[in-house]
Amino acid sequence: MSEKELNKYGEGVGFERIRRITGYLVGTVDRFNNAKRAEVNDRVKHGI
Amino acid sequence: MIVSVRKRDGREMPFNIEKIADAIVKAFRASGELDEQIKAAQSQLNLLGSDDVLTSTALKVSADVVGRLESEGKTVPEIEEIQDAVEKSLTEGGYADTAKSYILYRAERTRVREVNTRLMHTLRDITFSSAKESDLKRENANIDGDTAMGTMLKYGSESAKHFYTMMMLKPEHSRAHMEGDIHIHDLDFYSLTMTCCQIDLKKLFKNGFNTGHGHLREPKDIRSYAALAAIAIQSNQNDQHGGQSIPNFDYAMADGVRITYRKAYLSNMVKALMLLTSKTEEEVQPVVKKLHSEMAEMGMVATLVPNEKFQDTEARELSKTYGEEVVINAQKFAEKMAYEETDKATFQAMEAFVHNLNSMHSRAGAQTPFSSINYGMCTEPEARMVMKNLLLTTEEGLGGGETAIFPIQIFRVKEGINLNPGDPNYDLFKLSCRVSAKRLFPNFSFQDAPYNLQYYKPGHPETEIAYMGCRTRVIGNHYDPSREISFGRGNLSFTSINLPRIAIKMKSVDLFFKELDRMLQLVSDQLMERFAVQSRRKVKNFPFLMGQGVWIDSDKLGWEDTVGEVIKHGTLSIGFIGLAETLVMLTGKHHGESEESQKLGLKIIGHMREFCDKESERLGLNFSLLATPAEGLSGRFVRMDKKKFGIIPGVTDRDYYTNSFHIPVYYKISAFKKISLEAPYHALTNAGHISYVELDGDPTQNLEAFEKIVHHMAKSGIGYGSINHPVDRDPVCGFVGVIGDCCPRCGRTEGHAIAPEKIEELRKLYPGMPVFKGIR
Repeated sequence: MSEKELNKYGEGVGFERIRRITGYLVGTVDRFNNAKRAEVNDRVKHGI
Repeated sequence: MIVSVRKRDGREMPFNIEKIADAIVKAFRASGELDEQIKAAQSQLNLLGSDDVLTSTALKVSADVVGRLESEGKTVPEIEEIQDAVEKSLTEGGYADTAKSYILYRAERTRVREVNTRLMHTLRDITFSSAKESDLKRENANIDGDTAMGTMLKYGSESAKHFYTMMMLKPEHSRAHMEGDIHIHDLDFYSLTMTCCQIDLKKLFKNGFNTGHGHLREPKDIRSYAALAAIAIQSNQNDQHGGQSIPNFDYAMADGVRITYRKAYLSNMVKALMLLTSKTEEEVQPVVKKLHSEMAEMGMVATLVPNEKFQDTEARELSKTYGEEVVINAQKFAEKMAYEETDKATFQAMEAFVHNLNSMHSRAGAQTPFSSINYGMCTEPEARMVMKNLLLTTEEGLGGGETAIFPIQIFRVKEGINLNPGDPNYDLFKLSCRVSAKRLFPNFSFQDAPYNLQYYKPGHPETEIAYMGCRTRVIGNHYDPSREISFGRGNLSFTSINLPRIAIKMKSVDLFFKELDRMLQLVSDQLMERFAVQSRRKVKNFPFLMGQGVWIDSDKLGWEDTVGEVIKHGTLSIGFIGLAETLVMLTGKHHGESEESQKLGLKIIGHMREFCDKESERLGLNFSLLATPAEGLSGRFVRMDKKKFGIIPGVTDRDYYTNSFHIPVYYKISAFKKISLEAPYHALTNAGHISYVELDGDPTQNLEAFEKIVHHMAKSGIGYGSINHPVDRDPVCGFVGVIGDCCPRCGRTEGHAIAPEKIEELRKLYPGMPVFKGIR
């Protein structure tokens, strides 16, 4: 399979990870600025 | 002998003594030191004019400068060396004042040059670096900084910021902003517009509206209602720098459903009668249409939930022509079909609405409009149909199953209406939780929180609480207490205070409050300065917002009128970030860790709120306190404070300051406790607030827990809240949910291809699976 064909089946394709940070959703963490990225990485889950 | 000079950029240029003399002339003019001599020369009827005295003196000094440089052996002097020599020659020549003027002139030139250089550096960064490398380009995550229009927007924005800080802001405000004591939000729009507005769609749709590019008639179908709603948001977005919000989405869209149903009922009635009586459309249609319009004049119309008055009258009248049995059967058919068609049309309308808001462009194509819609409390069947379908299409996702980023959906929660079993919209509340557990929206707003409930008048949707986008809230109205409503109002501007810095500088609680007061006053003055600038704008500067009467009372103004009076209904907000770090600095612990800190936290925020109330009283305007969202700010303040004060554990040791009054994201705490601790701050921050809870795993698998959290928010007095959970998607197989290292549907690991056969196999299992076309 050519590289382009392989790409269609996921070669070099990441997962999209949608997060909410200041009330807005953003398609993927790549678009966050450095500070917000750091904040997202630091988040811990809240138990109930 | 000097024949050339070296310029700042390194180039060698021919030496010209007149250039030195010109600068010295300017300095003499500024100091006035030669005025006496000039006067004397003129009074002696000496033919030497003032220019000649100036020029000859300046040339004399210049000659001295040249001699000085030559004696130092400088054959190709640099600009800075020449300027040093001028200063010396003036001073030693006895022109002390002129020397001072010259130094000032030189400093001013240096400052302007530096500003220009700084601006040029910024523009270069925007031009040549990609968003991946440039933090500046990712300042706002919803603007694509890599596109042509995104870049052009950034040029404009950065240049405007430079202009305003240099030329328009009071020096003390400019300094406080540049040094990071405060942050003036949306500074690039400083003199241009206000933040946001809550659009009353019902009013806008009545009689249609004009986008500036053509008139749109009053919509006649739910599909056109939804399309026009998106256009209204888009148009208004171009007049303001913040987001746009619809406070009455359920009420406004219900009108569209009503009209759609009426039309669908008529056409199905005609069809049924044609079939049952073997008559032609030409024969049946005019009869039914005429009857319906006569009945409508008497207030009888077909409704989604059939009403007897209409049914009986229609049956009686039509029976005269077609016979009772036929008509009763036709009615049954028409009701059923009209309902189904309307339901389908409404789903399509909502689907298109969400698609539009995720794809339509504003601001020269660099971003989609920032849109929010509020709904949940209208119990009319038509509104319920709108909400159900909106939620269902949101749950389904966009074309490829992606989660929609816009609009921000806000479900209004109220006891007796939707919160508990037996409430008329309880089914929609349950559905909201299910959809939010999958798609992060809707968020939840709480009408029963005392500070929201105080404005609520049943039967008046304009008094229901509405939130905009990331959290803005505008409902109270000190300026005009008879208009405590959300419709047509918004925030004018907001400025945030760097709370942790005050704590770092002052160390003690007493001194902290003193400095906080100084800062509050500074921000209030700055907001008033900006308000004065905004007030001078005219209706024509806001062709949609003001020109189409979207903003409250703007329909009473003419095209050339200033907007100063009507914008008094808006809010001026003082924001803050980093309460947690402030408390750590002052007490050693943040409010999640210690009750004492929580007390102090409430005292600080309560004090800020009191200040806002007092300013409202003093100035007759709407000052309010904002729990700042800190889009770009979370990093900016701490970066500066780190440089100034070094790393202080628990304060400046991370890359961000904690959002407004939030418990730090890294602190382990239960969801319930976090909500309880943050709720009292919602009551104080009347310009807006939001609390988040982070859930682990896939909450669609535990909807009961999800609902419990929303209930706890309602009970605790939260005003606006939402629940975060990971929403991941594999673009290859379209799976949406939680993805760890490998996709639970197709088994793919990040970055690696799977076998084409596997995809075909999965497509049989999931017929709706999108076809992935690759990213290269």
